[in-house]
Amino acid sequence: MTAIWRREVQSYFTTATGYVYIGIFLLISSILFQLQILTPRSSDLLTFLGQMSYLWMLLSPVLTMRLMAEEKQKQTDRLLLSSPVSLTGIVLGKYFAAVTVMLLTVLLTFVYVGIVGVYGSVYPGEILTGYLGFILQGMAFAAIDLFMSSMASGQVTAVLYAFGANFVLWMLDMLSMSVPSAVVRVLDFISLYTRNEPFLMGQLSFASIIFDLAVTVLALALTVYGMDRARRRGLK
Amino acid sequence: MIELKSVTKDYGHLRAVTDVSFTCPDGRITGLLGVNGAGKTTLLNIVTGCMPPTSGSIQIDGLDLKENGRDCRRHLGYLPERPPLYDEMTVRDYLTFVCRLREVEKAGISHHVDNIMDLCGLSEVRDRLLGHLSKGYRQRAGIAQALCGDPPVLILDEPTVGLDPRQVAEIRELIRTLGKDHTVLFSSHMLTEVQSLCQKIVILHHGKVIREETLSELEQEGRTSEIRLSVRAKPGELQSVLRDLPGFRKLQVLESTKDGYTEGLLTVSGDTDTAGEKLFRLLAARDLPLRLLAPKKETLEEVFLQVTGQEGESV
Repeated sequence: MTAIWRREVQSYFTTATGYVYIGIFLLISSILFQLQILTPRSSDLLTFLGQMSYLWMLLSPVLTMRLMAEEKQKQTDRLLLSSPVSLTGIVLGKYFAAVTVMLLTVLLTFVYVGIVGVYGSVYPGEILTGYLGFILQGMAFAAIDLFMSSMASGQVTAVLYAFGANFVLWMLDMLSMSVPSAVVRVLDFISLYTRNEPFLMGQLSFASIIFDLAVTVLALALTVYGMDRARRRGLK
Repeated sequence: MIELKSVTKDYGHLRAVTDVSFTCPDGRITGLLGVNGAGKTTLLNIVTGCMPPTSGSIQIDGLDLKENGRDCRRHLGYLPERPPLYDEMTVRDYLTFVCRLREVEKAGISHHVDNIMDLCGLSEVRDRLLGHLSKGYRQRAGIAQALCGDPPVLILDEPTVGLDPRQVAEIRELIRTLGKDHTVLFSSHMLTEVQSLCQKIVILHHGKVIREETLSELEQEGRTSEIRLSVRAKPGELQSVLRDLPGFRKLQVLESTKDGYTEGLLTVSGDTDTAGEKLFRLLAARDLPLRLLAPKKETLEEVFLQVTGQEGESV
């Protein structure tokens, strides 16, 4: 598993993928920082984190698109499948590689916290709680998009599937504004965005932590199951 | 040793491999021969654990692939039909990655990778990106990755396909070298390749094993042989003499020469060497001078076409 993790992390930076992901992430987050924090001279980093969380929907597919789909497309999956690594090991190695790059990017956004800390006031407990929710949400999106990549036969299809899934999750959130309250309760329960709200108010919500982790584990389990089913049906 | 017992694979309603059983003995090169679409790649994907069979069992060095999958996979190296290369990696980095994947001890990886690159003739391109290598070097890199971790069993799927004649010769030589201390199972649809490399041949046709024999057995088994001969005797006399030859089938008279010789094509059962010797003794005993005795050997290609043809007819 560590061999796969290491190779995938290296691969992000020997190809353009890692740089593109980090570059776009920082570009958009810098624009948001300018609009949300610098221009109004605000120190409300939690609202800023809430807006940044929409970046997962946009950028997570970039990180996961080639992880599984490219292996199938280039038939390098034979190397992994014939090695003494389990399917779970393969999926976890790839997933944690995506999470590593994601965390590295998140780490770079601490510059914004530093800037606010210098010119305003930062409450560490509140910020750490906000970041915990932000990271858990990112991890859940990465797992969902990895699953989408495992279902796709090529990178382009993987991106489309992942965007589609992320868009549907976002639409569920939007939908809750115009449906009966009983349905709203269900939609809020399964919405990754609504689940993130307690963190954005500085509350450490264990229900949200467990929900995000459960979504992550479920998506990874589905990826393993999907891979196993695909290889039983015959390799392409 | 690789042992397959009643392996069957279905793709939905399509049966790709049917009740396949054969063994690959230790330290020998076994060729899996079959025309395109015979089921070779499916079978090799099953043997390497990439794909489970619908039914049947596979044992690698005494370990059951289903029950001890990880241990079995430690015992084998696999070169798929398309070498599984990551184009953005250098040869050295790639082989180091495969060694880590195959749980080679950390301290020994560098030395192991150097040895493999030397053996496969990759040392001069060690720092080149795999995506920039020629087809021949890519194939070598594919074989090199199969050697990482020094597995005793090597499985190679059409290792020379798409290469130029010189590259084909180099890869064959490499396989021959590897066959000295590995159990090798390799697939090919090229008869000459199997003939020149393998000690044992398994012929797969329409997903079924129709022959599992050593090369010499396959060439000899249950077949008639032809001998061209020229004997100083009249055609009728020669016919009656040859009826006493064990395994005699027929004599086709080609020519009666002016100097009293009869030239013909003799068909006998069994191998030509034995029949030729008996024929010589028989003619000598009858005091019939012999001017020509030329056994005509059947090529493996003829044998292959014959067995696959028979199978096709019976289907």
